[in-house]
Amino acid sequence: MKVKLIRTGGFIPVTKAAETEVNLTDKELVRLLEVIQQDPKAHRIKDGNYYELNAGKYSSPVDLEKVPHEYKALFSKLKNDLKIIK
Amino acid sequence: MCKNQINPIHCIIPPYMLKKLMESGNKKIADMAINTNFRNYRFRNDRIFFHNASLKEKRILGLISKQVGKELLQMEVYDCKQKTDLAGAILLWDSKNNQKITSLAGKNVIKGGKASWDFYSQLFGRNSIDNKGLLIKQYVHFDKGMDNAYWDGRRMVYGDGDGTVFTSFTSDIDIIGHELTHGVMENEANLDYENQAGALNESFSDIFGIMIKQRFNNQDVKKSNWLIGERVMIGPKYALRSMKAPGTAYLNHPELGNDPQPATMDKYQNLPNTSAGDWGGVHINSGIPNFAFYVAAYNMGGYAWDTTGRIWYAVLTDVKLTQNAKFADVKNLTIVNAEKIYGINSPEVKAVKQGWAEAKV
Repeated sequence: MKVKLIRTGGFIPVTKAAETEVNLTDKELVRLLEVIQQDPKAHRIKDGNYYELNAGKYSSPVDLEKVPHEYKALFSKLKNDLKIIK
Repeated sequence: MCKNQINPIHCIIPPYMLKKLMESGNKKIADMAINTNFRNYRFRNDRIFFHNASLKEKRILGLISKQVGKELLQMEVYDCKQKTDLAGAILLWDSKNNQKITSLAGKNVIKGGKASWDFYSQLFGRNSIDNKGLLIKQYVHFDKGMDNAYWDGRRMVYGDGDGTVFTSFTSDIDIIGHELTHGVMENEANLDYENQAGALNESFSDIFGIMIKQRFNNQDVKKSNWLIGERVMIGPKYALRSMKAPGTAYLNHPELGNDPQPATMDKYQNLPNTSAGDWGGVHINSGIPNFAFYVAAYNMGGYAWDTTGRIWYAVLTDVKLTQNAKFADVKNLTIVNAEKIYGINSPEVKAVKQGWAEAKV
């Protein structure tokens, strides 16, 4: 399945996105999203960036600091591939 | 988040909610709400008293250091080595040891941090971000190619830029002043970071950021180009924002298109209160109060920090500036404070009114 990382926010609001193919079951994806979900009550960082992960029918704001070790390479690649959405 | 784990209504709750709780049929809840309301009333009055207190009164009450005017800058600069672990960042420089460093980003934030600290201390007698001598912490080289800078509630963090559209976010003093002012704001009115209040929050940061740069470069209102982030954005025609002409900081940029900032209230953009909607356009609609400030400052002439800056600082620290303030509230407060500082029929008051009129607020 395809997963898409979207970055929003920043000193000037720019939306960036990157997509890649992953080999995850629905169950693994749901578990991952549970672990990395952004706390909706988290302090709003001034000029901060925010991330969202979209995969099929699933979509969730995510906190990249919570990414488990086994997924670090995946998210590192997605972050490196982020391109401005015009 | 509420830190009071015992009694949840001791948290800061909006007045309409408190009113409902005071009318609750549950005596325990109603009693606690009345107590909270009483404490809030005392707290508000304390805040007004302390705000209006003279320096002598403040000193006697232990609210400020006895060595007024002799406060020392305390600052630390850390190198994140392009990682995202702030706790693992390496200390590069601190004001106690004043080490020699080679990192350009490090040098930039030391210069910008000092300029910002001096600005608040020398002009307004403010002792650092919290007015209590807070240690300023700045983190450079955060993440790989991060094209951003932010205030996370405790410290300032800067990325190196992607190298294509943006260079290091430490390149402009106004950006360093902008981030530090977010900290000042959090210690004063703490304007909500959404919709009009959020746009005002952003605007205060831009306004103080540009004045910190103007003062550092000894530029009066005519000499300044009123551009925020002119070095950060790669290309001689581009900047992040223009306070003089919001909406023109970048035009036909190959990656970013056109600057979306409006200059006037009739062009206000109603955007969703989400990250994708820039929390209701906080970095977009800030163009409107930015433009009002620019017009007021230009009409007053001279150095912005000597005139318009005093008025806006009085508003920033005014107890009447509420967390959910709207543009019209800040307009009224700038007029009231200009009248207090310069007199009701002064040219300064006229200039402030002209500024808001030009911005159609």
